Formats: sequence, structure tokens, C-alpha cells
Amino acid sequence: MPRIERHANVVWEGNLARGSGLITAGTGAFERLEYSNAVRIGKGDEGKTSPEELLAAAHAACLATSVAGELTRAGSPPERIDVNANIVMDEVEGKGHLIVESQVRVRVRGAGIEEDAFRRVIEIADEGCPFSSLIKASATVSIDAELEG
Amino acid sequence: MATERSAQATWQGDLIHGSGEIHEAPSGAFGPLQVSWAARSEEQHGGKTSPEELIAAAHAACFAMALSNGLAKDGHTPERLETSATVTFVPGTGITKSALTVVGVVPGIDEAAFQEAAEQAEVGCPVSGALKGNVELTLDARLQN
Repeated sequence: MPRIERHANVVWEGNLARGSGLITAGTGAFERLEYSNAVRIGKGDEGKTSPEELLAAAHAACLATSVAGELTRAGSPPERIDVNANIVMDEVEGKGHLIVESQVRVRVRGAGIEEDAFRRVIEIADEGCPFSSLIKASATVSIDAELEG
Repeated sequence: MATERSAQATWQGDLIHGSGEIHEAPSGAFGPLQVSWAARSEEQHGGKTSPEELIAAAHAACFAMALSNGLAKDGHTPERLETSATVTFVPGTGITKSALTVVGVVPGIDEAAFQEAAEQAEVGCPVSGALKGNVELTLDARLQN
């Protein structure tokens, strides 16, 4: 079985309150994304990313891949899968800040599958998505999935 | 106070022949980004990102912030921290490891105090908290003053 490694680099300058960092992907898919603590705990509308936004992107992409794989295995390859992931970070008494929740919404089109079988596919995809199982150390994962025609 | 961040992805087709797109991030900071099973599960990524790379980016970024905070609280504001995370994915098994590294330029700190701060940041950053127990976490910290 191959072992696939992916890496990212960050340069941070200064302290937490006034410092800032730059995030670069090893593949070159994104480079020098600026982030800071003010942005991380702010509204998220400053044009800058944060660790939690990157986790949300990872979870949405991971679950979309897993659902595509499980639908195909069930003999019902989909036309289109839309996934939205919402990552919640909160301060937990005595434990500091934790990733406490990932709320995922899945919409599948053109899979030609019965509702019951679809539910099973979603469960298996959640169990099979490496990210879903990974973050369960501190977070709950909730999935709202619907078939759309 | 809770902070929420969301992202959206669309997949079209089956796993092997289909492909996906991570939409432009709600913050506007990146994307849209293309993903595919081949780019994710083979050594050759073709310049495409993957969930594992995004986790690596989140982890390296989270660790850098936590370390900057720990160092500054002890009176050693860092000039520069270069961190990286390498996430290992074994198709069929899952994500097995996240390896953190840091090279720090931190005026006035000694090696032992830097190592201790790095270890605390590794344990304390929220992304580590979500991953620990499910995945091997390693740390290689170097002071470069």
C-alpha cells in the first residue's frame, strides 16, 4: 500500500496578538496565504484564511471523495455531489480552545439509488473519510444528507 | 466564544474518473482548487491539493500561532518561526501521521525552554487536539539564534 505524504509550510513573525503568518502548500496549489489571530477569531470576512477554514475545506473535499467512492461501489455512481462543511472552534473549560464540531451538508444528484441504501452509503462514507475519523478526538461530526433526484 | 468557518466542495462523476473542486473559500483567501483521486492517492500530485495537504496547512498554521503565544507569554516574542506539517495518507487505511517541524529565531531563549514551548504548543493547539489519539504526532524543533 503506498504511503502518500503531503506537506505545507508556514512562516510566522511576532507574537500572537500582533504577529502574522504565511501559509504555503507543498503542491503549489496555494501560496503565501496570510493569517493572524485577529482574523482567526474574527468574522472571517477580511479576505484571509485560518486553520479552521482550511479544515473545513479538507473535510468538504474528503467527504465528497468518500461519498463518490461509496456510491460507485454501491453501483450508483453520482452525477454531482455538493458538500458544505462548517468547522466550529470553541473554548472548553479546562481544555482551552478545541475543534468541537464539524457540521456537514451533503446533496447528491443523479445517483439512482433508493433512500435506505443512500443512508447506508452516507454512514459508510463518514466512517471511511479519513478526516471524519481523525477529528473525532475532540469534535462531533454531524451529517445532513439528501438525495436530489 | 465559538468561531465558525465553512467551505464547500463539489464532486462530479465516480471516484476514479470523476473530479472535484473546492469552491473559492468564503474568506476569499484561496480557490477554487481542483482535486482528484489520482492526485490524492499517488505520489505525483500534478500541482493539485488534497484533504491531507489542507490538514497539513491547518496544522502547521495552528502550531505556529500556539508556539508564538507560548513563547511571548514567557517573555520571548519570536522574530520568526518556520513551521511545517507533513501528513501521511495510506489509501484504504486512512491518515496515519502528522509530523510537525519548527525552526525558530527567538531572541534571548535557551534551547531547553524553546523545546518545552514547542512541546506545549504541539499538545495545546486546537488542531492537534482534534487529531491526537487518532494519528501519530511527531515534533522536530530547532532553535536557530
